[in-house]
Amino acid sequence: MLHGISLDISDGEFMVLVGPSGCGKSTLLRMLAGLEEISGGEIAIDGRVVNEVESKDRDIAMVFQSYALYPHLTVAENMGFSLRLRSEKKERIQSRVEQAAKILNLQAYLSRYPRELSGGQRQRVAMGRAIVRDPKVFLFDEPLSNLDAKLRVAMRAEIKALHQRLKTTTVYVTHDQVEAMTMADRIAVMNDGRVEQLGAPLELYDRPANLFVAQFIGSPAMNVFDGVFRSNAVHALGTTWPVAHSSASAGQAVKYGIRPEHLHIDGASGIPAEVVVVEPMGAEAELVVKVGELPFTVVTHGRSSAKPGDRIFLKPESANAHVFDAASGRRI
Amino acid sequence: MTSRNLLREARLWLIGIPVLLWTLIPIYHIFLFSISTKESAFSGRLWPEHPTLRNFGIVFRQDHFYLHHFWNQIWNSLWIAVAVGVVTLVVATCAAFAISRLKVKGGRTVMNAALFTYFIPAAFLAVPMYKAMGTYGLLNSRWSLVLAMVTIASPYAIWVLKQASDKLPWELDEAARIDGATPLQLFRLVYLPLMLPSLVAIGTYALLLSWNEYLYAFLLLSHENTIPLAVGLGHFLASDDSPWEILMATALIYGLPPAAIYYAFRKYMVGGLTSGAVKS
Repeated sequence: MLHGISLDISDGEFMVLVGPSGCGKSTLLRMLAGLEEISGGEIAIDGRVVNEVESKDRDIAMVFQSYALYPHLTVAENMGFSLRLRSEKKERIQSRVEQAAKILNLQAYLSRYPRELSGGQRQRVAMGRAIVRDPKVFLFDEPLSNLDAKLRVAMRAEIKALHQRLKTTTVYVTHDQVEAMTMADRIAVMNDGRVEQLGAPLELYDRPANLFVAQFIGSPAMNVFDGVFRSNAVHALGTTWPVAHSSASAGQAVKYGIRPEHLHIDGASGIPAEVVVVEPMGAEAELVVKVGELPFTVVTHGRSSAKPGDRIFLKPESANAHVFDAASGRRI
Repeated sequence: MTSRNLLREARLWLIGIPVLLWTLIPIYHIFLFSISTKESAFSGRLWPEHPTLRNFGIVFRQDHFYLHHFWNQIWNSLWIAVAVGVVTLVVATCAAFAISRLKVKGGRTVMNAALFTYFIPAAFLAVPMYKAMGTYGLLNSRWSLVLAMVTIASPYAIWVLKQASDKLPWELDEAARIDGATPLQLFRLVYLPLMLPSLVAIGTYALLLSWNEYLYAFLLLSHENTIPLAVGLGHFLASDDSPWEILMATALIYGLPPAAIYYAFRKYMVGGLTSGAVKS
């Protein structure tokens, strides 16, 4: 299922594994947790190979998508469960739980049961259960997927703040590239059991290594179309698209990629296009335009005076144009 | 109410009333006998002319030839029923945990094989069971009946508990494993509390099953002092002129504990405790 994955996560790093469903990111996380057998390779935590080490002895804590709180235990008992299993003293458990509750703003709920809490509170309890253990690594498995959009944004910030405060190495799995971009120190974009690219969020955004990463990272998605490379430009759709730097050879079949915010609208000259839809969002406007028959997304800052049916001209930023090999999809 | 709903309601009543009568009339009959005198028991009236509690007094004072061991026998019934309930629970809970949560290899096959025994009528197994108990020298010991009833109750109990534990979210086990729980701690601290409603239901089932058992009790136990009350009641029919009113009074008393147990645990028969465990 997973092929040739080699990840080096440094101490205190916030690593996000992102990819479409079924890409193997959760499997990889579960392997780290010791919940999934591995047939080859090595997993080491803090220099110790843990392939044959049971989950409980790996010094990790995991937060599940479904929270997985013990329904018959109170919030305090849920958070202190791992310490209770290790036969810690009652006072010590209590002080650790209270400390974690304070960090997560859960003091008022310690004697409640999970069923009496809201989704966000349950998620915080699940994190509290992880914090209490003071593990070497936090593993998050799509922890925000079950929350509504507004809460998700709030919890995102909370988790990031928590990481900045505790500085515990974190591996975070999500299918949401926005979550990945906003939270990660480094992102591993996964597809089909492989790591497509590993790097800092903006690095992935600015220099995607291949078509998959280019189209997965960024919202709205990059515009991509077929063309032929010739003397610092790509010829496609009956016109030329400038490229500042590319190692493509003349006459090579390529795919040209340009992000929506790197297409500027010009009233007089450039690539002719027709406006189809205008979506004003206040700070920016998203336009769907057609060049020939191909739809493009364009994002403009501020407001747009364009109306559907208008003829406009597009000016691509040549420095931010991406060229990929048409066959392999690799950046060239 | 629309006419459609009315029709539905009417149909429910049409089925419900006969079923209710079907169930209640025999019970009423027992009750009627138990408060009648011997002379008026067969009078055919819906309510006796001189209702009396005398029959119950006779039962409680063991004041009849067939009732000399009444208290002893009802104690046997109780002892055996509780023992069957407890032993079945222990066997079935451990089996269900092993099959459903620990995913023991071949667990499902074992469970299906156990269920397969239900294809053979219990009456066919009575003789082999009798021989087996004889070999172990258990005949006439209350344990022989307990073991026999556990054998009969366990396959169903395992199956029901396995179904119930399959419904527990798997993430709970994983969370507990990461939290550092050994399988035994998982069993004790997570599994048992969450399974409680099903455990009560299955325990009650096994208890009532053995409380109501006649055939095996009759075969395996033969001494006046070891038989449960169900067999004792059967003895009433040994003579041509059975004291029906006393038999029915005893039967009514015999029927009360199961009713009480069922009433006490009724909420567990349907209850669920897992809400809040995972987002559903």
